Amino acid sequence: MNRRCSRTLILVLGLLSGLWAPLAVAKGAVTLGILSYRPEPVIQERYSLLAEYLSQETGLEVRLRVFNQDDMNRALASNRVDFFLTNPSHFLVIRSERSLTGVLATLQREWQGRSTGSIGGLILTRAERSDIDRLADLRGKSIATPGIHYLGGFQAAALELRDAGVDILRHNRMVHLGNHDRVIRAVLTGDTDVGFVRTGVYEELTRENPALADELKMIHVQSLAGFPFAVSTRLYPEWPLVSLPHVDSQIVRQVASALFALQPDHPAARAAGLAGFSPPADYQSVEDLARTLRMAPYDQVPRVTWVDVLNQYRIWVLTVAVLFVMLVVTSLWLSRKKRQLATEERRQRELIGSWPQPMLMIRNGELINCNRAAVDLVGYTSEASLLGKGLPTFSPHAQPDGTPSLQKADALIRRVATGEVAQSEWLFVRSDGSDVWVDMTLAPVYEHDQESPSILCSWYDITRRKYAEERQRLALRVFENAREAIFITDAHGVVMDINEAYSLITGRDHKVAVGSLPPMPMDEGSAILIAARKHGVWTGEFASRHRDGHAIVLSLTLSSVFDEQGQLSHFVGVFSDVTQLKETEKQLRTMAHYDSLTGLPNRVLFSDRLQQSMAQARRQNYQLAVIYIDLDHFKPINDAFGHDAGDGLLVEVARRMRSTLREEDTLARLGGDEFAAIVVNVADQQTLEALLVRILTKIGDPVWVADHSVEVSASLGYTVYPQNAELDGDQLLRQADQAMYRAKREGKNRYCRFSDSGS
Amino acid sequence: MNRRQFLQLSVAALSALGLAGCSKSAPLRTGIHPWIGYEPLYLAEEFGWLPDSVRLVKHSAASDSMAGLLAGELDAAALTLDEALRVYAEGVPLRVVTVTNVSVGADVLVVKPSITSPAGLRGRPIAVELGGVSGIMLFSILERAGLSTDQVSLVDLPVNRHLSAWQNGDIEASVCYEPTASVLEQAGGTRLFDSSQVPDTIFDTLIVTEAAARRKPGAVRDLVYGYFRGQHHLVRSMHDAVYRVATRQGITPDSVRRSLATVMLPELAANQRYLAHHGRIEVVAKRLSGILVREGLMASHPVYERLCDPSFLPRSLS
Repeated sequence: MNRRCSRTLILVLGLLSGLWAPLAVAKGAVTLGILSYRPEPVIQERYSLLAEYLSQETGLEVRLRVFNQDDMNRALASNRVDFFLTNPSHFLVIRSERSLTGVLATLQREWQGRSTGSIGGLILTRAERSDIDRLADLRGKSIATPGIHYLGGFQAAALELRDAGVDILRHNRMVHLGNHDRVIRAVLTGDTDVGFVRTGVYEELTRENPALADELKMIHVQSLAGFPFAVSTRLYPEWPLVSLPHVDSQIVRQVASALFALQPDHPAARAAGLAGFSPPADYQSVEDLARTLRMAPYDQVPRVTWVDVLNQYRIWVLTVAVLFVMLVVTSLWLSRKKRQLATEERRQRELIGSWPQPMLMIRNGELINCNRAAVDLVGYTSEASLLGKGLPTFSPHAQPDGTPSLQKADALIRRVATGEVAQSEWLFVRSDGSDVWVDMTLAPVYEHDQESPSILCSWYDITRRKYAEERQRLALRVFENAREAIFITDAHGVVMDINEAYSLITGRDHKVAVGSLPPMPMDEGSAILIAARKHGVWTGEFASRHRDGHAIVLSLTLSSVFDEQGQLSHFVGVFSDVTQLKETEKQLRTMAHYDSLTGLPNRVLFSDRLQQSMAQARRQNYQLAVIYIDLDHFKPINDAFGHDAGDGLLVEVARRMRSTLREEDTLARLGGDEFAAIVVNVADQQTLEALLVRILTKIGDPVWVADHSVEVSASLGYTVYPQNAELDGDQLLRQADQAMYRAKREGKNRYCRFSDSGS
Repeated sequence: MNRRQFLQLSVAALSALGLAGCSKSAPLRTGIHPWIGYEPLYLAEEFGWLPDSVRLVKHSAASDSMAGLLAGELDAAALTLDEALRVYAEGVPLRVVTVTNVSVGADVLVVKPSITSPAGLRGRPIAVELGGVSGIMLFSILERAGLSTDQVSLVDLPVNRHLSAWQNGDIEASVCYEPTASVLEQAGGTRLFDSSQVPDTIFDTLIVTEAAARRKPGAVRDLVYGYFRGQHHLVRSMHDAVYRVATRQGITPDSVRRSLATVMLPELAANQRYLAHHGRIEVVAKRLSGILVREGLMASHPVYERLCDPSFLPRSLS
């Protein structure tokens, strides 16, 4: 920067300062600004004398300017005021904006001989408003005030209402009217319900218009001895008179001394209603008020930084942090424990749930838990169908031992409750109606929060064992009670066990029979064992002897029993005594071949014998003869003496013929009075005819029947064998028959030989 | 067993059961009488700064509060230090929890103009209310003057009768306080001495009984906090407070201002200093009990380990 430039700058600065100075302090003149808390002309009138007084005392020209708050703010901003007098709330705002040096003096007001340096607020409403009597009644009412930055006209009342629980900034309609006269007017006209004014205004206005006192009503009036005005709030220091920093200190001192020198009875003081000025008051209470109400200049909430909080609440922050860390650590630890527990529980649950043996938990007689196997065993589909029920629900009414299921279950549970481990077989009925046998074990489980133990119950399915036992028992019963003798031997045929029938049939009791061989056919003996081993079974009948010696016939079925390796391990034999059966069979056979009346073979046996004899004759090359015998005149005897007599005759005749024939010959009764005979080994014709004659003779002998002697004769026809043509037995007998008929025709009681020509 | 013993036993049993601190049941009954130093408590009550846990029992004189403490009807009281010591000596253990004010000129020695120095009191009749704080004032003056009580003629007289005695010529000196002091001055007396010359001697305090301090610590804190809020208002909002005090005491705001000039109202920090262990209060209390015992105004020294308890003082007023 060169010299010239700097000179120019100084010049400009000088000009600026020259322009600046006349704005505020024109030569020997100062400006006193006063807030127009009442209408401007009133203030002007009241304080003009004070300006004059100050002019006189200081030798300066003191100009009085009356401003409303906005105008005063503007005037202050442009330094057009040197001293100002305003309410303390407004002063605080100005001070915060301007960094003023401070208060020169505090105003002292005078009223009817009493002076005060205090200011408060008065809350007014119309006298007829009976609904507004207390602070609390102001809730929601409309309020007229001169403005926010008025101490008596707003802030003092706001604090009292706030303490009474009424937040007027939030809950009330506020009307800011600029000065107190307008507030009173708004209340009187009913524009608002309530008005706030500073102390003293009401008294001034009622002095001008006494009727006002009847129209207005004061709310929350304080009784303060020695205070000249009616007041609704607590009190604060009166208006400050403030000098601005640009004013020369000499002038400030002059003005201050003039202010302090002002006496209450001076016309200037009287006109302004002042008692004078006192040294500056402590405006701390006004600051506190603005702070409490959060009003300018304290409407900003101080920024609280984290460091502030940390400094202020270090112990708390530390404690909370430590507690938080402990909480987090504990939570983590707990959650880990919980997870572990859950895993363990899940593992156990799966272990028990999938364990193939049914397991259940019983508490107070009800199932509270069970695994899959238990559900399956009783044939249900889900655990839910088991839980909450008792054991008897799945059981028949009574267990096989006859005890009712309910009673038995109770008894078991009672036993377990005393600490015992109980075991019992139990029959369940499955959902499909089938039976399940289980071996049930019940053990007490003590849980610390339970008074009586829970019961752990496990089931072991023994149904198959039970059925096997049943079959075994049945088999044993069969074994023991069978009418057939049953025996079991080892692989060598030595008896290991027998049943009772064995002893009965053989006469050998258990002691004797076991360890010896079973009854076997005499001739075959142990060969049947080999047969049975080979074919699996041997069946046969054979004669044996009872232990007491009498003969018996036994029918035996011997089966071999092979073990799992296919090795013969046992023989099982079943035999019955068929002696009786054999006897009967023999009788039956006799009845079939012999005539019951004469005991002679019948036609069937005769045919049989004839066949045999014919075969023998051919083989041994001898002749045989077949004789057909028919009694003559038998029917009249039968009719005359009855059948019994006839039968007797037949028996006698048969006996005589039999005795005439040789042993090797056969005599048979063919039916009625017809007989036939086979004579074997016929030597020649004469021998044969001699025999025939003998027969006729024997028959012709008188017979004693039915107490009568009767005589019969017989007609005989005979034939011989072999002949030229090959014949069978029937043909041979027919030949004899034909010969017999010829004998009949020829006069009876004779014999004829069959001849082809003759017929 | 009478009713009071029974109640005490019941209370003891309850505290043994760990029910101490349940101040809900009964408020802290606090005896108080008019005195500028106690005004903060009245203000606190007026503005609703005393919660339900505290109840002011208003008397007209300190003697009522003392009697109430001795009878077990009060849990706390506003008393001068020497009054508190007397109650203690009578068998009710106490704790000083707040110093409300220090007298700096409230107590005055007014003498006939012929007496020009404390030493001149020798052989003169002095009116004094021995049962009250004036006694301490006098003893302090005599101590300063190097005189013993035998060397002067003590007339034990209530303060309100000092003027007539003065006018009758019965006394040549009076230990008194406002407004009697001003009246005697108008009657021709001169102020020879006032309490501002024995600084840190005449204390007004809030005391609580040992039992209440143990059982109702919350209520005691409420009382002390309320007091300090009232004090804040009295000091910081003096423009309001003087009118309220004047209204209650029935005097002018100017008189209130003058009264306030004769006392110091120690704030929180000052209270912490006063109430510290072996602090000013305990030192003065020892000296006072020495004087009181010596003068036969107290039977024996109260036995305590600590008289002051600053733990109930709030950290800050906010």
